[in-house]
Amino acid sequence: MGPAAARLRGEVRALVAEHVPPGYLGAFTGDPADLEVAQRFCRLLAERGLLCPAWPAEYGGRDASPWEQTVVREEMWAHHEPRGAQYMGVNWVGPTIMRHGTAEQRRAHLPPIARGEAIWCQGFSEPDAGSDLASLRTAARRDGADWLISGQKVWTSYAAMAGWCFLLARTSERERRQQGLTIFLVPMDAPGVEVRPIGSLLGPHHLNEVFLDDVRVGGDAVLGEVDGGWKVVQEVLSFERVGIARYARCERLLQTAPRVLGDAWDGLPAELRTRWARGLVQCRRARLLAYRVIALQGGGRVRPGDAAAYRIAVTRLDQDSAEVLMDIVGLAPPEGPGTGEARRFRLAVEDHWRYSHASTVASGSIDVQRMLLARALLAAP
Amino acid sequence: MNIEPSGEAAEYGRQASRAFAAAGGDRLAPLAEAEPERRGALVEPVLRELGAWELRPRDDPDDLEAAAALCRSAGYRALAYPLAERLARPAGLGTDGLLVVDGPAPRAPVAGLDLRWTAVTLDGRRGEAVVRSGERSLDSAVVAELDVRPLDAAGAGDVALGLVLPCWTLLGMLDRALDLTRSHVLARHQFGEPLARRQGVRFQLADAEVERGGAEALAAYALWSVQSGRAEALDDALALRLAALEAAEAVFRTAHLLHGAMGFCDESPLSWVSRCSRPVRWLPLGLSATRDHLARRLGRHGLTGLFSEAAT
Repeated sequence: MGPAAARLRGEVRALVAEHVPPGYLGAFTGDPADLEVAQRFCRLLAERGLLCPAWPAEYGGRDASPWEQTVVREEMWAHHEPRGAQYMGVNWVGPTIMRHGTAEQRRAHLPPIARGEAIWCQGFSEPDAGSDLASLRTAARRDGADWLISGQKVWTSYAAMAGWCFLLARTSERERRQQGLTIFLVPMDAPGVEVRPIGSLLGPHHLNEVFLDDVRVGGDAVLGEVDGGWKVVQEVLSFERVGIARYARCERLLQTAPRVLGDAWDGLPAELRTRWARGLVQCRRARLLAYRVIALQGGGRVRPGDAAAYRIAVTRLDQDSAEVLMDIVGLAPPEGPGTGEARRFRLAVEDHWRYSHASTVASGSIDVQRMLLARALLAAP
Repeated sequence: MNIEPSGEAAEYGRQASRAFAAAGGDRLAPLAEAEPERRGALVEPVLRELGAWELRPRDDPDDLEAAAALCRSAGYRALAYPLAERLARPAGLGTDGLLVVDGPAPRAPVAGLDLRWTAVTLDGRRGEAVVRSGERSLDSAVVAELDVRPLDAAGAGDVALGLVLPCWTLLGMLDRALDLTRSHVLARHQFGEPLARRQGVRFQLADAEVERGGAEALAAYALWSVQSGRAEALDDALALRLAALEAAEAVFRTAHLLHGAMGFCDESPLSWVSRCSRPVRWLPLGLSATRDHLARRLGRHGLTGLFSEAAT
């Protein structure tokens, strides 16, 4: 990845070591102090140009290479995403506004994201529109110069803490369902927006319902063209081709396991240590597949099949590694007096296991990726 | 780190693939299996023409990439010739090739060839390998049992290359098996439509491609590791072998299932690619033994990566 990326990795790790408490499991816990850690950490990253390093300098970035951006992505996910929900603003909300927003929208939205102050949520999925997103029914109708939006979104992560929603709604009925959809940038404190948390295996804040009852927004809330939202959504997905660097957390946990277990490691069943070794190979495999997509993307040659293959590999890794790690901590001896590292490790593994269940569904299901990959394979010359 | 071989190497591989096709293509594997003694005469002139024996994969990074591309093309065309083993020949011993061996009854796909071989075990013990005359493996005519006369223990540096190049051959076989399967499901109609229209078929293809693509990525990484003389090159080679063998299991299962009985027939190229994959997949180590060796080597330190220092 080059010396600049290596230096950056060292810098980010030093910041994490200094500012993120040991045993931190992310912003989305029952303890509000964890969210405060994320907010402070985002501001710190922003001050150092590390929150959105790949953004152009004029929008608060530092024109960093995709590899430097990858380093940040890897280190953040490996350390339980101390940016909290900010990664969405940085990874795709901001870049999409850069490309499709008006000058006023860019002025209004990009600086708060770059400063680490704005939390966004994504209003795409609905009760009857999951993988088949184009069947969504949340509707926006004109009322003078304004729009009134009504409908229901679901599985909306971070909705309760978000200031803004990147919302897709139907604005007209057309022959093709993909036509007639529009993106709205909706303030979450607008009258008529109601968020209801959904309790889940994943922990608090991950899943919410968002009800919209005649939510009034101005014409300036439309991102891009009216009825042109589907094209924007496709671009959002292209920004998210590599998505979360799940392999980084898997590798960190797998590599840490022998040290935490100490001499007890050698007493583990040989079959389990073999699965552990295989897990490390799968980590490397997923990382290399991600790097291939990034390299191709840099050269403008990315093929949808490459991104889908990576997504499939990394989701499988996420779940396989979680099972192996749970087996390992299940056989770990009781911890004696000491640093508490074994307890923290067990909690981190347990968190990884719970969260890994969502990896085949989050940001588009693995079966959609399989369809995309198969389509690319069968269409190849 | 290199995640893709150079354009020159890829072009050399395509050139080799065309040359192998012109030299007999899919007929080469059945001929080799029927008369292993004739296979050298069938392919060695083509390899000479391609400059295979001038390649110095141990000394020149570009030659190593070219050697890998050549092995991949040989796998694609099911050459049934120990090309990878010959390209990995050790320095200074005057032999024609290197065979990585394991276990008390070493075997290698070298039957019927009048060549001199060096054998090396995974822990670097080298010996002169001689084909046992008159004894052939039951499962393939090209596989021979070996007598190994101990030589020295200086072969630790040979093992990684000796494991990596055959994986490139296997990778070429996986490329071919998937290409054949793709063509088959597009052409074959069942229930009134091409098999390729069925989601179950598409999902199987996608899953097989993930395995193949993963093995390809690790093959490029392991090659770079050998090129760079990294201390952990053997770990990287075993990691590649593990992924390549798992990929072979997935790809060939899918390929055979989707081809149906047609895929077993002698006139089906898949049948021969599948048969030719056996020596690479089970010699010197099958999947379980590869996993076991890798886990033992990794001990508590793990595989070099983003967080390898976490284990120390």
